[in-house]
Amino acid sequence: MIHSDPDAAAPARGEEQPRSAPRAVLSPWTLIKRFLTMREGSISVVTIALIVYFSLSIPAFFTSSNFQTLLTYFTWLAILAGGEVFLMINGEIDLSIGGVYLFAPLLFYEIVGGGISLVPAVILTILVCTGIGVVNGVVTAILGVNSFITTLGTLFALEGLTLIVSHAEQLNMPGSAVSTSANGSSHLGTFASIFGAGVYSELVWAVVIIAIMQIALTRTRWGLHTIAVGSNRIAAAEAGVKVRLVVIRNFMVCSSLAGLVGIMEAVRSQSISPDPSSSNSVLLDAIAAAVIGGTLLAGGSGTIVGAFIGALFLGVLQDGLAIKGVNADYLDFYLGIAILFAMLINVYVGRVRRRTGVG
Amino acid sequence: MSGVFAGGLALADQSPPEELVVAPVSAHEDVLRVEHLAKSFGQVTALRDVSMHLKKGEVLGLLGDNGAGKSTLVKTICGFQKQDSGQMWLHGQPYEPKSVQHARELGVDVVYQDLALIDELSVYQNMFLCREERYSRLPFLNGAKMKREARKVLNDIGIRLPRLDVPVARLSGGQRQSIAVARGVYSNADILLLDEPLAAMGAKEGAMILELIARLKQEGNLSIIMILHNYVHVLESCDRVNMIVDGAIALDKPTAETSVLELNEIVVEQYRRARQAAQVQEVA
Ligand SMILES: Nc1ncnc2c1ncn2[C@@H]1O[C@H](COP(=O)(O)OP(=O)(O)O)[C@@H](O)[C@H]1O
Ligand SMILES: [Mg+2]
Repeated sequence: MIHSDPDAAAPARGEEQPRSAPRAVLSPWTLIKRFLTMREGSISVVTIALIVYFSLSIPAFFTSSNFQTLLTYFTWLAILAGGEVFLMINGEIDLSIGGVYLFAPLLFYEIVGGGISLVPAVILTILVCTGIGVVNGVVTAILGVNSFITTLGTLFALEGLTLIVSHAEQLNMPGSAVSTSANGSSHLGTFASIFGAGVYSELVWAVVIIAIMQIALTRTRWGLHTIAVGSNRIAAAEAGVKVRLVVIRNFMVCSSLAGLVGIMEAVRSQSISPDPSSSNSVLLDAIAAAVIGGTLLAGGSGTIVGAFIGALFLGVLQDGLAIKGVNADYLDFYLGIAILFAMLINVYVGRVRRRTGVG
Repeated sequence: MSGVFAGGLALADQSPPEELVVAPVSAHEDVLRVEHLAKSFGQVTALRDVSMHLKKGEVLGLLGDNGAGKSTLVKTICGFQKQDSGQMWLHGQPYEPKSVQHARELGVDVVYQDLALIDELSVYQNMFLCREERYSRLPFLNGAKMKREARKVLNDIGIRLPRLDVPVARLSGGQRQSIAVARGVYSNADILLLDEPLAAMGAKEGAMILELIARLKQEGNLSIIMILHNYVHVLESCDRVNMIVDGAIALDKPTAETSVLELNEIVVEQYRRARQAAQVQEVA
């Protein structure tokens, strides 16, 4: 009886069994396997591989000037994806971030036009965006409308509102003007360099926000309850988790971040472009980054750091293909394939993780 | 008002037989009293008119057929859902829990029939869900402390798990149930509601939990309502037994004054009467 059949082995598995006892002696192979089965592991490897590939095949890729270009592709996306991940772990989704992204700079424009100075106007704008999150959250968690539908509604409503208010005309973003001094050098205002236009501004925002959110997810009650609600809503409620509050709060955070990103991107481009097709693609990119990063739509698990790496991956892909001179039509095609591929890896890795017990 | 629901019993037009008389709700030693509790879910009447009481330090066994309303009663007492009508008293004061957390603050805790465990969370995270330990000055979870205390509690009960940081999804049914029971027992509650705590357990695990309950009873601080299906366990572990039939308490007796035979007899009698009623309806 050397080979016990699986049925006989099953009860033994449940019993205590010091399977993972010798933890000190980890072979390199085990370590590699651990890393690859981490939620962020596989996409990290794929992203690094992509960077290496572009660096070797395009001389202009691994340069500091291209690094600055690359930042404009992914930093803001990482912030949006981070907020989305929290909701996806919660078992919800927020499509309205596209609308908030589009609406926020216009609202900021109107508030500044009303005579309020820049920083308070930013705060006010973001508070309104938080309020939009409250609406999403209340309609979803208390009135019981599926969040896909709720936020589809707010997405269209906000995009429509933006078009109505702006008459679909491009506007100059307040606070983003570049002044030219006497000697001819152009100079960014402090406000603009902090909120988006500074070369590393959005990177700093992204890194700080992602770090805070990752800590919130893994080290705070808020994160724990978000996972609990996403994993098993009834059990979470039975255990005493305030399910509705958790959901509403996550909608608030997600909307606020979308508002911040909307403002920063408008400051960076110095203009407000009320174009729903661009905001819709921003929305889809954010969801793609979250999903590629290893967060499942099913809820209950996900990673904020993964969202950052997912956004980086999308940024590298877009940037690299653009430098290579690949036709823009191919870009979406490659992107689509990349998303499917990344998802297959994630599903496979998830299965391995469950089997091997690597938490 | 009809008793058509609750397993097809149709007793509404029959007066209850003599031996099924509810004992008068009693004195000041009661830690919990429930009076005329009713709860329906749409067309389904889960609780029709439940009155019961729990004395300090007592282990009360709650029996009843599947769908009799036992879990509904427990979920109402623990604050998970609100009754349609009826009152509850806790230590002589009106008791109206607004939430599970509120009931917990008042000293009432529960182990649900479905265990209320979160598969994605680890053993210790589940054990401390909604009463997480945090650092005194920072809003961060103190994982090390929770792990340490969870380990202590599990050792104390006799549950051996190699690791506490694995998701509970990976544990056996019995292990999951022991974790849920451990979470309830070590919650500083003085009233504990256990909804079928032995359902998924093997003989050894079940004995361990019953032993734990006997130990808690000896300490005398905790009052327990325990839903069980096994009459032998009820007679062995409980001081008193209540049986829910058709949304109301149909029997209230000290375990010393009843027997497996009698309990069986009541259930069989119920069944016979239900069938007769059904046949009468068919004929009519
Ligand atoms: N949340 C609910 N929604 C609808 N019906 C319910 C709900 N909870 C319980 N019921 C119904 O109430 C009755 C009593 O259920 P329950 O209290 O779980 O019984 P028991 O625990 O005694 O088996 C059953 O008919 C059940 O279907
Ligand atoms: Mg039940």
